[in-house]
Order: sequence, then C-alpha cells, then structure tokens
Amino acid sequence: MLYVENLHKSYQIGKEQYEVLKGIDLSVAKGEFVAVMGPSGSGKSTLLNCMSCYIPYEEGKVVLGGQEIKGINEKELANIRNKKLGFVFQDFMLLDGLSIYENILVPKIIQGKVRRKEEQRAEMLMEMFGITHIKNKYPAEVSGGERQRTAVARALINDPLIILADEPTGNLDSKSSNKVISSFQEAREKLNATIFMVTHDSFAASHCDRVILLKDGMVYQNMQKKTTSGKFQDELLLAIKEMSEVKKDDLI
Amino acid sequence: MTLYSMQSKLRRANKKNYVLYIFCNFIAMMLITAYTAMMMSPTVLDVLPEGGDSRKQMMAVFVLACVGCTVFTIYGTSLFFRMKAKEIGLLMALGAGKNRLSAMILSETALISSVSSLAGTICGIPFAWILWRLFRLFIVDSKEMILRFDYSCLLVSIVFLVFIIFAACMMGLRYLKKTNIIDVLHEEHKNEPVPETGRIFGPIGILLLFTGAVCGYVAPRVYMKVMSAYPPAWLNLFYAPVFIGLYLILLHTIVHGWKKRKNRYKGIISRSMMKFQGKQTVNNMLVVAVLAAGAIFGVFYIPISMTGQMIELSQRPYSYMYKYPGDTVGLKADQTEQIADAHDLSLKDWQESEYLTLGMDGIQEIEEDNDKFHEEYTELLQEGSFLSEDSYNRITGQNVQVEDGTYYAVNNQEETVGFYLNQNGTMLTNMVTRENLATSFKGFVNYNLLVDTGGGVYVISDRDYQRLNSGIADEWKGTMAFFNVAGEDSYDFAKDLLYSLIDSFGDKGEVISHYDRVAKIAAAENGEVYWGDTDVMTQISYQNPDTSEFRGYWKYMPQFQIMDKNDMLKNMAVFFMMFLFIAIICLVAAMIICYTRCMTIAANNGYVFTDLRRLGGSSDFLEKEIKSQAVKVFSVPYITGAGMMCILYTLIMYGNDGKISASEMYGLLVCYGIVLILSGIIYLLYRMTSKKIADMLM
Repeated sequence: MLYVENLHKSYQIGKEQYEVLKGIDLSVAKGEFVAVMGPSGSGKSTLLNCMSCYIPYEEGKVVLGGQEIKGINEKELANIRNKKLGFVFQDFMLLDGLSIYENILVPKIIQGKVRRKEEQRAEMLMEMFGITHIKNKYPAEVSGGERQRTAVARALINDPLIILADEPTGNLDSKSSNKVISSFQEAREKLNATIFMVTHDSFAASHCDRVILLKDGMVYQNMQKKTTSGKFQDELLLAIKEMSEVKKDDLI
Repeated sequence: MTLYSMQSKLRRANKKNYVLYIFCNFIAMMLITAYTAMMMSPTVLDVLPEGGDSRKQMMAVFVLACVGCTVFTIYGTSLFFRMKAKEIGLLMALGAGKNRLSAMILSETALISSVSSLAGTICGIPFAWILWRLFRLFIVDSKEMILRFDYSCLLVSIVFLVFIIFAACMMGLRYLKKTNIIDVLHEEHKNEPVPETGRIFGPIGILLLFTGAVCGYVAPRVYMKVMSAYPPAWLNLFYAPVFIGLYLILLHTIVHGWKKRKNRYKGIISRSMMKFQGKQTVNNMLVVAVLAAGAIFGVFYIPISMTGQMIELSQRPYSYMYKYPGDTVGLKADQTEQIADAHDLSLKDWQESEYLTLGMDGIQEIEEDNDKFHEEYTELLQEGSFLSEDSYNRITGQNVQVEDGTYYAVNNQEETVGFYLNQNGTMLTNMVTRENLATSFKGFVNYNLLVDTGGGVYVISDRDYQRLNSGIADEWKGTMAFFNVAGEDSYDFAKDLLYSLIDSFGDKGEVISHYDRVAKIAAAENGEVYWGDTDVMTQISYQNPDTSEFRGYWKYMPQFQIMDKNDMLKNMAVFFMMFLFIAIICLVAAMIICYTRCMTIAANNGYVFTDLRRLGGSSDFLEKEIKSQAVKVFSVPYITGAGMMCILYTLIMYGNDGKISASEMYGLLVCYGIVLILSGIIYLLYRMTSKKIADMLM
C-alpha cells in the first residue's frame, strides 16, 4: 500500500542546516493500523508531512499505491491528496464557517461531486462515529472529541488508500481520545481503512497492529502487536525507556 | 454544495475579516482620492503659488500619504490573507488544485478589492467636498474658497486602485506558491522576530536622527556657498540618516525599551510577544511616526503663520495706514475725513509724510545655465521707499539719529524680514536727475507698520533727503498717511476707504508688490525685457479688489487693522485649509495603521493568550498584556513623530534670527496645545482598540 525508502529531509534554520530524517525505510500494508512514536524532535511529524506531500523532501522514495509521489506535477499531487490520502490533524483543522456535515463533505466539494451517493456516505460515517446528532452544528459548538471524529469522517469520505493522522489525540482528554481511537478501529474493521498515525500517546499506539519507534531521524525499532493492548502498551513503554538509553550507533 | 457556494458560506462566516479588509481599501482610496482632488483643485492651485514652497510641501506630504495608505492597504491585505491562510492551506491539504484555488482566490480578491477601492474612489470627492464645506461653515468662508475640482485627479486614484488590486492578487498567489502546505496552515502563528540588536543602537539612532536633520538643513546652504549654484534635489538625501535613526530608535524601543528595569520579569510576556512580531511592527511604527510628523507639520502651519500676525495686528499704534504715489490724486486728509463722517467716525492722531522712491545699488545673484549662479554688483539694483529722519521720528514717536551718508532699513519688531531689505547699498540714485549719493547701511530700525517686503522702507538723514529730493518728479514721490478713528471702527468704513483709494489711483499703480520700476529702467537700459512685464504668475486687477490676490499682492495695499483682521483668515483660507486637510489625512492614515497593526498582533497572538489563560492568567493580567502592547504601537510613533516636529519647529524659529520672539513663542505654545489635543484623540483610539482586542481574545 505504502512504502518509504531512504527518506532524507533537512531544515534550514538561519545559517544552520538540520537533518531531521536520515534515511527512513518503512512500509504499511493494506488494512494495517500503524503508529509512529518517538521523542520530540525525532522526526515523526516531518515524516508524516513528507508522506503527505505537504512538504518537499530532498532524497528517497515515497510510493503510494504503486505510484511514487516525488516529481509528479502539481495537479496530480492535488489529486493524490484529494482521492488517495485522508488527513487527520492534531488541531482538527475544520472550517469554522461550515457545519459538521459540510466539513465532512469538503473533499467531495473540492472534487465538485456532491451527489446523493456522497451525502449518504457522509451520513453513514457520521452514524458510525456517533456524531449524527451534531450534523448541523458548527465546530465551535461541539467538543474536541466530536471535532476530531468529524475530521476522521472527513478523511474517510473519499475512501482513501491510507489515512495519515498527526497526533490525533494530542489535544484531547482520555475519554475523547478513546473515542477517536475507536473511530479508527471501526474504520479499519468496517471500511478496511489503512491508518498511519503519529502519536506520543502509548495508550493510543497500543491499539495499533504495529508501532514504529523513531529516534534522531532514524527507525529505532519496528514492534508488531502480538498480545493485548494493555500488554502491548507495557512493551512499548519499556522499548521507549530502552531507546532513551541507547546510543545513536545502535540504531538500525 | 460547490466550491464556490462553500466559499460564499465561508465569506459570510468570516465577514469581520472581510469587513476589515474592505474598510482598509475603502479608506485608503477615499483618502488618496480626496487628497488628489484637493491637491489638483483649481481652488487650491490658484492660491498656492506655482513653484512655491507650499506646493512642494503639499507634494511631499502627498508622497507621505501615499506611502501611508500603501502600507496600511498592504497590511490590511496581509492580515486578510493571514486570517484566510488556514482556509487556503486546508483546501490545499485536502487536494484542491492550485490552479482552481488560484482562479477562486484571484476572482474573489479582485472583486472585493475592486469594489471596495472603487467605492472609496467614488466617496473621495464627496468626502473632500464635505470636509471643505465644514471648514467653510464653521471656520471661514470666502469667494476664493468655493471648491472647484479638476476631475483628471481621478487618474491618480485609478493608478492607485490598480496597484491595490494587483498587490492583493499577488499576495494571495504568494500563499499558493508555497510548496510547504504546513507553513500555509500555520501562517497565522508565524513569527516575524526583529533582529537582536545591542543597547547601543538606541543612542546611535538618536545621533543619526539629529545628524540627518542638521546635515539635511545645512547641506543646501553649504552647497550654495561652495558651488555657487542652486542646490539640486538629490541634496535631500542628506536627510536619509533621519529615517535610519528613526528606525533604530523604534527598534530599540521594541527590543529593549528605554526604561532601566529593576525587575527584568516585569512585562516580559508582552515584551517578548512584541519582539517576535516585531519586524512588521517596527516598519509600521516608522511609517506612523513619519505620518504623525506630516500631520503635525500640517496642523502647525496654521498657528505658526497666524499667531504672529494676530499679535502684530492687535498691537498696531495706528488703525489705518495707506500710501499713494505722487502722480496719482490720492486721498487727502479732508477726503478721508468725509468718508469717515459717512460712517459716523472721526479721524484722530493723523500723521502724514512724504517719501521718495530712489534707486539702490547692490549685489545680485545672476542665474547661469546648469542651476549655477554668480554674484554681480548692479548699480540700479532695486527701488526703495525713503523717509527722512524727521518724518520717521514724527510718525513712529521714536528718536532715531541718522548720520549723513548712511541709511537704516525698517524691519519689524522681531527683525524677521531683514532678508527682504537691502543691507549692502553703497549708492542712492534720484531716478530723474540721476544724481547719486554715496551711502552705507547702518542697521535696522523697527516699526511694523512700515515694513514693506517689496522694495523696503528706509530712513535717511534730513539733509540727504533734501539733496535727493531736488529735481525729483512726482511719480518718484509718494505720501503715507497714518491715523486712528474716534467712534466704533467699522469694516464698511475700511472697505469704503480702500475703494476710494483705488479710485484715486486712476489707471496708475496697478502692479504687484514686487514690481520694481528701478529694475525695469535698468533692464531697459541693458536692452532687456523686465521680468515683471512678462511674468503672469501674480496678476492683480482693480476690478477685483476683494480677492486674496489683490489684497495680498497689490503694491499699495493699505494696512487697515479691522479689515486685515477680518480678511486675514479669508485671504489665507485656502492655504490654511489645505494644510489642515493634509493634517487630517495623515492623522487618519496613521491611526488606521496603528489600529490594523494592533489587530494583526491580536490575531497572531490569539493562541498565546489561550495558553496564558490555561496557565492561570486572570482577565486583568491578560488585559494588561494587551494594553502594554497596544500602547506602544500608538504612543511610540506618535510621540516620536510629534516630538520631532516640535523640536524642528522650535529650532527653525530659533534658527531664523537666533532667538525666539514673543509671537513665535505664542505660536509654539498654541502648537504644543494642539499636540496635547491630538494626544487625547490618539489616546481615545488606543482605548477603543485595546477594548476591541480584549473582546476578541477573551
């Protein structure tokens, strides 16, 4: 579904050049729910933004559904963002002037295809994520958790190849976080959605099939979930603890 | 729902953002159109002399107003797009193609900019008319003040309008050109930090400010002295350090502040917030400081010009003074008495004196090509009106002793018109007999009523007067009359007297004050045409004795206290109103920039205030943080600009004659009073803006 090969990305801050991603390799299979964890500055969000074609990268490959995204023209890139990718941002990024229902339909509005079929899908997603009752409300009138579930529904409206989520529970309390994670799980189970999520939250990550640990712009560990969420969370915490003690030379 | 209907719904939801943008464009275009309409109005152009300083000042302030309007339009636009950035970024993130977004943003921006700018342009001329009408209604009205427009002024507005639309579209496209969508999404939170400068930059700024002011002031004089040429326009570049100095002062204010802080943590949040949004804040402050200086310049023009005149008028020892040349019938005492009788008045303190018009030699600047000049001695340089020592003492009540072979020039009490008087004469000439008398300049005597900036009035000894009087024709003689009236002085009497005086001239003496018969003879003898017979800049006519031109420039214009008082405002009305208009435009532009800057700071720092509230910041604390930033945006540039102008005017007053006279001091005090009133207006706007920001953030 998606693979990343030898991805490099640097930022120029003043006269200094900072290399944030130092050759990342990873892949995500269809229907998989993958999380990326790592300390601040490890390059999680940069990796996600490069995979989303939001920011340009210098070297490496990002291949989505068999198509490499680097070097393709602007129009095609917009088409990929619209049809093949779904995004969930930490700060929801809903349009305040549109209702919850209209926000979900924005990707379809961009395509210029809002027919009955699309409206039915939006209604189905709202039903699935328990936000039908706030359909006609505006983002400022609903809770953070409801806003994020709206964002998840918006990401799924086009039935994308993959959903990229950047710390989707970062701005939420634990109850709302649970509901958002449940939404992802439900999307995967019912819609066979593929989800790639960057998170700091070990509890959220413990619900994923696999967790990739990043450190200093490189993949430190790839952890497959083989047990219950609770135990997997313990494993994750242990791995994170170990990671903080390991020197750079030990990275894979 | 389509992309366009979605846009229209978002527009409705974000209407405050659109209203601010429309307001900025509207105001900018209205101010520019109103100013251009006034600047190009025949009403104004007829009064401000072509090539004169007033027109240059008007043009300089116009450039300033254009810069100000450009700045706040660009700021309005950037604020608009900053607030819209999330929307644009999100649509890009969700797959809207740049071409589609470009078309959508360009059409929306072009439409809104065009409509708001066009509305501003359309309202500009009525705005100028209403403002002018208010001046006429509440301040002063005269025939000259009837406002006429030259509609070609709209061409300037159209150029500015096109610029606004172009700049807005370019700014919109700038967001779309960004390759990093995350940057667009987070544009609202983007910082613009000022460069970290050392504490020394503040004092360096002050030094540069003063150095620039002194160099700019002195450079043309030095150039004239050294190069014997008229100063070229590029010499104004010597003023450039003023702007650099001003920038450094404002930068220092934002980065360090001028107070030595005992507690380094006091105000640390607002200071750091300003610092991280400081780049544009400092740029804005610079423009506001210059605009405030422009406004103060415009508003000072009135008291500085008028206070001295008002004092001079009220202190005149004679209410009436007139003169007429000897070859006209003139008004004798009995005729004047008759006119006074008709107005139930009688004459008192009557004094009458004969004077001679003589040729004077001196040094003249002769213009060459390439703006160069050289000085040349000219035997028949100019004419002067000469009183005998006895006549002068009788009229003035002074006791001046004049030695034979010397002369005194009559200056005003404050000795501010010495520039117009011949201080280098070595020879006086009877223009009929051509008899010469060697002489030398002895100094000034002071009597306001005898001041004549045309050729000047001089005093010679009785013996020299008799010598030069010998064989002189009537046309080179004249009579001066001075008197007061018993009874209630009336404007109608003064007017009748003026008309009678004009009638008594017949067709003679219909010339402007600088018309010089001696220079004309000298030109004719050299086979040249006298400039006064060719120049049509200031033509006067006995047919229009009530016009500003006639009363301002007639060579024999009498000085009637009641008429001068009444006419002073009317004669100078257009002049003054234009400068008042300039002040209003600059002040409005400055206040709008301050307002939009504060709104930008509030919009950019919204998330900081949210964080502060989460960290337990009380409403009072947050309000204090808001106010401490807004107060800087409003007060620092205003104090700097106004302070600069106060110092400049005081220095000019002092620099003219090495002292500040009583009337100048009164003028300056009135100016300082106006600065205080304007400070009050700025303070009110600051309070309103702070409240609006507080409502927005809390």
